[in-house]
Amino acid sequence: MMEMDELAPVLVVIMNNPRDMEIARREGWYRIPVKSAPSRLGAEYLAFYQTKIFGPEGLAINYYAPVKAYRLAKRLELLPEEPEHPRANEWYYKVEIGPLERLPRPIPSRRLRRITFIPTTLGRLFKAKEINDLWIGGEAEESLWEMFRENGLPAERRFLIQGVEEEKEVDFAFFCRRGKLAVMCDEEPLLSGLVREKSAAQDYELAALGWTTIHLEPELILKSPAEAMGKVLKAVEELGGLTSEEEEAWNYEEAGQF
Amino acid sequence: MRLGFPVKILGHPGLRPYDSRRWQNSPHLSVSLAYLRDIILYLERKRIKFYRLAPELAPYIAHPDFPSFHHQIEECLKELAEVGKMAKDRGIRLSFHPPYINLTSPQQEVVEHSLRKIIALAQILEAMGLGPEAVVVIHAGGAYGNKPSALDKLCAVLEKLPQWVRSRLALENDDALFSVRDILWVHNRTGIPLVFDHLHFLNNRDELEEGEALSLCLRTWPAGVTPKVHFSSPRTAMKLVEEAGKRRAYPPHPSEHADFVDPFEFISFCRTALMTSRRDFDIMLEAKAKDLALIQLRENVRKFAPDLEVE
Repeated sequence: MMEMDELAPVLVVIMNNPRDMEIARREGWYRIPVKSAPSRLGAEYLAFYQTKIFGPEGLAINYYAPVKAYRLAKRLELLPEEPEHPRANEWYYKVEIGPLERLPRPIPSRRLRRITFIPTTLGRLFKAKEINDLWIGGEAEESLWEMFRENGLPAERRFLIQGVEEEKEVDFAFFCRRGKLAVMCDEEPLLSGLVREKSAAQDYELAALGWTTIHLEPELILKSPAEAMGKVLKAVEELGGLTSEEEEAWNYEEAGQF
Repeated sequence: MRLGFPVKILGHPGLRPYDSRRWQNSPHLSVSLAYLRDIILYLERKRIKFYRLAPELAPYIAHPDFPSFHHQIEECLKELAEVGKMAKDRGIRLSFHPPYINLTSPQQEVVEHSLRKIIALAQILEAMGLGPEAVVVIHAGGAYGNKPSALDKLCAVLEKLPQWVRSRLALENDDALFSVRDILWVHNRTGIPLVFDHLHFLNNRDELEEGEALSLCLRTWPAGVTPKVHFSSPRTAMKLVEEAGKRRAYPPHPSEHADFVDPFEFISFCRTALMTSRRDFDIMLEAKAKDLALIQLRENVRKFAPDLEVE
């Protein structure tokens, strides 16, 4: 058996209907709209996050496949039996893939949440215990994630929130009894006033949506991890502590994540 | 003046410059183009407008042992045009600088392999629909004990190339054999424009002053096509090399590229250029820290020479 390239890029994509799963399995391709393709599209493997519709296999990644080629094609060329589809004339990346392989163990989503594309590596795909282990952050974000895991804090990484005008992504989300907490790592250096203003504007918008935001400087996370962790725990406490599992479903519905 | 960097991205881990899978795993140009698309989006986010493409973009495209890979450019015309348009729409200049090109070798198969590679890279730029500033930069090759004869052979080989390939070529001075004067001779005979390399010039200078040499090279570019120049600072740091389990320290060689760019050397070079030539040009930074070096240099130029317009 060939040695696994741990760093081989993998793109986790959404599989939300059995027909597309059959296309992937039998015809060897998957489609991604050009308009909404992720900023990281190139990969050596695709892995498939199956939604609830797949029953016992749903809400988890069970399969992956090697990428053979990326082709540009209109939807109509890919699915000629749907000429009336509203996106029939739109461009798609047709990702040609090899045979689907089953992962040694499924990678479940710990909570019901909306997932889009996740760029990761083959090494992570084989080691991940849950979806949140797949994201690759900067050094500080990774270190914070390790601390949360070690302390049993159930953070959701790269959590998407429907904003007023556009979708927002927070580095870590916590669901607390009296509100929701967004933890941002600020890995990109705040070089200019403009960037700082944008960051503050995002905080206000998140606040309007019921989120409390705290920012942790990478230097603090890396040099004083206990202090960084203390800030998160204090914020969680101020928001009434983490919700129990029974309370979580309500929170997610409230957050518009279904 | 646009600043560029070559191939590898250090500022965003995980972005790959090409499909590096070995032949057994069937690498494909279209996968490289998907990576390139991601890189173009990264360049846009970082406001970088000049990038050197990986010469392995089309895997094994000229490899004599793998003919099954030789048709990938024709298979990917649509995808090449799309990624080329992405670069053009964002004002990003693209170029190639393939290694191991030797058009003066006494071994015919070496020359033929070099030609196959050059033609393939020119084909890629054509298929991307890029303008004439997207070039394949090459070195003159080896001298084999007789420089005039080697240069003569180089011209003869270049003259046999189809015009559409020649118009995609640019020739660069090197740090040991062929100086600016030598490549000027080739330009005068073939019309191929010249890329001035600052560090190579310092290591292999003839009687020309730098400003004069630069100016002569810039003038070889057709009107309406922005010339390009290579710039790097010489490495000055000690090199630690692992040898038989022991770490040894070596002094650097003056032709080695530094990790970052000395901002003062760069500013001084730009001021010389402004004094000696009216022609605008783009600068490919050949620093080992790649995009990180570019971003740092841009900050330093803003700080120490805000009058210089670099992007």
